[in-house]
Amino acid sequence: MSVAEAEAKELRLEQPSSLGRDALERFRHNKAALVGVAVILLLVLVAIFAPLIAPYGPRQQVGALDSSDPEGPSSEHLMGLDEQGRDEFSRVVYGARLSLLVGLVSVTFGLTFGLILGALAGYFGGWIDTAIMRVMDIMLSIPGLLLAIGLVTLLGRGLIQIMCAVGITTIPIFARLLRGAILAQRESDYVLAARSVGVPGGRLLMIHILPNALAPVIVQATLAMATAIIDVAGLSFLGLGPADPGFPEWGKMLADNASRLERAAHLVIFPGAAVVISVLGLNLIGDGLRESIDPKLRS
Amino acid sequence: MALLSVRDLAVQFVTRKATVRAVNGISFDLEAGATLGIVGESGCGKSVSSLAMLGILPKPAGRVTRGEVDFDGVDLLKLPDSQLRQVRGKDIAMIFQDPMTSLNPVLTIGRQITESLRKHLDMSKDEAKKEAVSLLGRVGIPAPEDRIKDFPHQFSGGMRQRVMIAMAISCRPKILIADEPTTALDVTIQAQILDLLKHLVAEENMALILITHDLGVVAGTCERTNVMYAGRFVESATTSSLFARPRHPYTLGLLKSVPRLDAARKEKLEPIGGTPLSMTQDIEGCAFAPRCIYATDKSREETPELARIDSDDHLVACWNPVPDEDLPHVEVVATQAEGRTAR
Repeated sequence: MSVAEAEAKELRLEQPSSLGRDALERFRHNKAALVGVAVILLLVLVAIFAPLIAPYGPRQQVGALDSSDPEGPSSEHLMGLDEQGRDEFSRVVYGARLSLLVGLVSVTFGLTFGLILGALAGYFGGWIDTAIMRVMDIMLSIPGLLLAIGLVTLLGRGLIQIMCAVGITTIPIFARLLRGAILAQRESDYVLAARSVGVPGGRLLMIHILPNALAPVIVQATLAMATAIIDVAGLSFLGLGPADPGFPEWGKMLADNASRLERAAHLVIFPGAAVVISVLGLNLIGDGLRESIDPKLRS
Repeated sequence: MALLSVRDLAVQFVTRKATVRAVNGISFDLEAGATLGIVGESGCGKSVSSLAMLGILPKPAGRVTRGEVDFDGVDLLKLPDSQLRQVRGKDIAMIFQDPMTSLNPVLTIGRQITESLRKHLDMSKDEAKKEAVSLLGRVGIPAPEDRIKDFPHQFSGGMRQRVMIAMAISCRPKILIADEPTTALDVTIQAQILDLLKHLVAEENMALILITHDLGVVAGTCERTNVMYAGRFVESATTSSLFARPRHPYTLGLLKSVPRLDAARKEKLEPIGGTPLSMTQDIEGCAFAPRCIYATDKSREETPELARIDSDDHLVACWNPVPDEDLPHVEVVATQAEGRTAR
């Protein structure tokens, strides 16, 4: 047993670490991912403390109502004024609230249903699998934004409806991903081993299979959040945004001023940049997570 | 009556393309505390038969087509899954081939060991934890009270197999099925693990079914050995008798293809010619006939059943058993087998 003891001692030298802690460790060494976290953290802070950061209210008219030639950026108005004489900087700051909320809620919505459907399909297989996955295939065959437009038309305009619509378009992605991962795990040796000691089906799925199949889904969720923000911006751009026209939303701000691109470029550049930065931040986090969670990259 | 009595067990894998006849009617008895080796090459149905006994064949393709598996007077194959789950892990437990993949990577090993303790023996969390620590100690894992908090990736292969053994024996099963428990380990660790198994089985009076393709493994561990080929047992004998006087040409071929330290230096290993049959066809006659130098027309037409030869204890399914004069190094093989048993 001396070999075994020596082996054990050697192993004891390293800190006891769980998979999550290992992943965190790798994540912390990923510079790009940390930049992503910083960006998103900053945006979250901006959204929370918007009233403190923004010099004016989002609906407050501070300059001249000049729709043909809005005032450009100046030291007083960092991002200039919009066509209704409102401070653009304040509006972009307040806009962070809606965009982040929309990203979070719609992805949570899609994730919940996607996970349930994917787990059922992957674990039970047979006709349940076929039924669920064919519906998912049909949803996937319709372009995401088009599907969202259809759903908004169906559900009516409003913040909740938009978040649901965008969330629904992400369901098939999560369902497929989880189903595939569960299929792979279902045949693995440790599942057979668990069955051989009499672990019942539901427990097998929840305790043994699901945690092993979740990693790619977590990564996808961060990336989907970025897509959701773009989708909502897109819906707003098409005039299907949240019902309250006065409340700033980056996509809507873009849409309203697209025609003024030549005369008042600042009204397009700043909200556009806000969308790009938040999406980039989420993508960096997603890529970082993928690299740190993937068990194949584990040293 | 025997503790476990398998009668004419047959398993098929049915897919759209083909039906694979993995196990074609095997029968054996296992007494309490006995050790049985099942030897055969890859794909001969060794593992599948044990999965079938426990009702955990891969679904939906795998199915038991006939046979009985009587355990303590109950036919396991007729039990509904919910009752079979009570047997699995509690009365019959299994150790798998690859310890690197047979443990769940996201759960601590403490959690995995206590799972069956809490389920089958109704232990509280603390009791189960205490028991898990003592089990880990018994299978030779140093500092068990620390290590139960560790995850599988923090253990080496040999250590993981010890953990698997601890899991398998946790509920003091009456039968332990070890499916190639040492195949994925290197040779020194193999010996340790086999030693451990032998000790545990003797201490707890567990019956052991050791499935392997390595004759050396059964030689030192099992009282009795069944040789399997193409889903059937072709020879069944006490291990020493099997090594001393192999009667089936296939058994002889297996023995001749094992390298030995005491063989003359120039002596070449003799592989068995040909390849195993495709298991998708119905086999007529003896399955080994196409590869067998003793085969006759009768072998190709009629399937031989296990029948007594030499003694009551030695059974062989062969029309033309290997004659004595063809047995090479009879004494040497015998002493080697006994030598390993003694060690």
